[in-house]
Amino acid sequence: MTITSPRRLGALALVAAVAVGACGGGATAAPSASSEPGASPAQTGAAGPAVPSGTVSLTGAGATFPAPLYQVWFEQFGTIHPNIKIDYQAIGSGGGIKNITSQTVDFGASDAPMKDDEIAALPAGTKILHVPTALGAVVVIFNVPGLTDLKLDGPTTAGIFLGTITKWNDPAIAALNPGVTLPASDVVVVHRSDGSGTTNAFTAYLAAVSDAWKGGPGVGKDVQWPTGIGAKGNDGVAAATKQTSGAIGYVELQYAAQAGLATAALKNADGAFVQGSVDGVTAAADAAAASFPADFRQDPIINGPGAATYPIASFTFLLLYVDQKDQAKGQALIALVYWALTDGQALEKGLGYAPLPAAVQAKAIAALHTITFGGAPIWPE
Amino acid sequence: MIGAVPARDATLAERLRAGRSPRRRAVDRAGRGLALAATLACVVPLAAVLFFVVAKGAGALNLDLLTKPAKALGTGGGALQSWLGTVQMVGLATLIAVPVGIAAGIYVSEFAGHRAARAIRFASDVMVGVPSILVGIFVYVLLVLPFRQFNAFAGSVALAVIIVPVIQRTTEEVLGLVPRELREGSLALGVPSWRTTLSVVLPTARAGVLTGVMLGVARAAGETAPLLFTALGSRLVNIGGFGEPMDSLTLFIYNGARSPIAALNDQAWGAALLLLLLVLGINVSVRLRSMGGVRA
Repeated sequence: MTITSPRRLGALALVAAVAVGACGGGATAAPSASSEPGASPAQTGAAGPAVPSGTVSLTGAGATFPAPLYQVWFEQFGTIHPNIKIDYQAIGSGGGIKNITSQTVDFGASDAPMKDDEIAALPAGTKILHVPTALGAVVVIFNVPGLTDLKLDGPTTAGIFLGTITKWNDPAIAALNPGVTLPASDVVVVHRSDGSGTTNAFTAYLAAVSDAWKGGPGVGKDVQWPTGIGAKGNDGVAAATKQTSGAIGYVELQYAAQAGLATAALKNADGAFVQGSVDGVTAAADAAAASFPADFRQDPIINGPGAATYPIASFTFLLLYVDQKDQAKGQALIALVYWALTDGQALEKGLGYAPLPAAVQAKAIAALHTITFGGAPIWPE
Repeated sequence: MIGAVPARDATLAERLRAGRSPRRRAVDRAGRGLALAATLACVVPLAAVLFFVVAKGAGALNLDLLTKPAKALGTGGGALQSWLGTVQMVGLATLIAVPVGIAAGIYVSEFAGHRAARAIRFASDVMVGVPSILVGIFVYVLLVLPFRQFNAFAGSVALAVIIVPVIQRTTEEVLGLVPRELREGSLALGVPSWRTTLSVVLPTARAGVLTGVMLGVARAAGETAPLLFTALGSRLVNIGGFGEPMDSLTLFIYNGARSPIAALNDQAWGAALLLLLLVLGINVSVRLRSMGGVRA
């Protein structure tokens, strides 16, 4: 025992050293998995991009808004192509942009398009392609015992989130909801604590309907909230609202369904009260498709025209590097996004998201041709 | 001493009390009462935490949780990727931290001069107190940013940084308890100093050193903050892929607990119970194994 002990200790040190060496290398080498260059040439036309044959791991992070859709997508794509592993962490749009800027992920995701100063903050020579993947509604959720139907208009919603309306039986709310018994309890505002595209869309709406909001907290992924409690992610806001009596918050439609929370009908541009729905978002998207910007950086669609149009709709984007550092990863990424933009669209409605309008879908697919590796397109036209 | 002389076989406390005035006795009783209340206040939260985790987690800790990976929307999924990640990352962290921590402990206890020993001891004490999120950011800058990739290796290193000072301090303390005579005896027989340390001192203190290691491991298993920036978390089962993101039980609990999906809340409770059993298992096995030898 006295003689073996030092050896044991030595062996342990050796094992640790080997582990350090092997894994240190792994951090750089492992992701660049093999794909035989030229073995499966990229096909042109409607056939779609080639899928690499080797094992490829892709890491993405960002928006929580489309996370349920992305989780289903990536799971299904992984079933079709078991050699491609896609890991998506829902950390918020702000986090997605932060990670794509520090280049710690293979793709990012955000529902707020990157702003000019955020693009300027990218490392020199880095270009980001915004690929729209879906549309969603930002709905107002509430948790008031006994209350299931609630109608709100812009100024009243802004008043609640500004903190000027503090009781559920406030005359402004009562006027919009004749015949509904409203409790005298306090309104508890729940908002996001992280940088969020959902917040960006919601504050864009509040600013559009309220000068006090426009001149006060303003529009952005993160604003100075006059009142309320913060929660992280769409899931966090949904959970906090669910757990707090008298709470009101805002989330993507799918999260309201997950939490089983009632949503408020919002007054749209035509004066009709509409519930957040896939159809209401599709109507908004169709109206906005004609003016879709060339660089895809479409802001949230607020108060779009049409009687059935829901007033807060937002595209959500994948953020891709135009110049891919790894050919296999680039191929896998293009194959994945192409699948999401084509076959994947069929899954959207069932999950509470609106598929892309055909014109936007065609533009997004065409943009995948611009992604390059070593200066040459990975998926030539 | 005035008053009744207490019997010889009375305890010290009784003898002291015998001469006191009623007021003093009342104060004494009140003091004891407060101390007891404080003790209960310490124990109640612990008992409550254990009770809640067991009550809420027992139903969710099932075969599915252990054998199935995460699934979209939380239905029919499990935490396979999470406990595998915890075991792997804590395992590698232990492999890194044990030689470093024990070697540092030996150096301070056996070889360092007074000033050096004090400086290292001070540094270790500070390290133990550094908030773990700072360790996470430090390792993020060191091992994530340069490689442009969140990776489980960085997670392991962050955990190792947290374990090392725990092992170092425990090792040092325990080696200090080894009787001088053992060292002198060994040296008198002509055994060199290094060999004395490794073959005589260290084996004698083995149980105590092991306790330090296990305390460190248990602490690492419960950490979330240093993994947020390093291993990131993952929905995929990752075995041996230390160059890629990896999940852990703590990250699974963090994500599941704040989900609006009830099934994921339940799974988070199940994972919490699993983590508790893991840490408890480590602690108990240490207590049982360190029955002999010099303890910390």
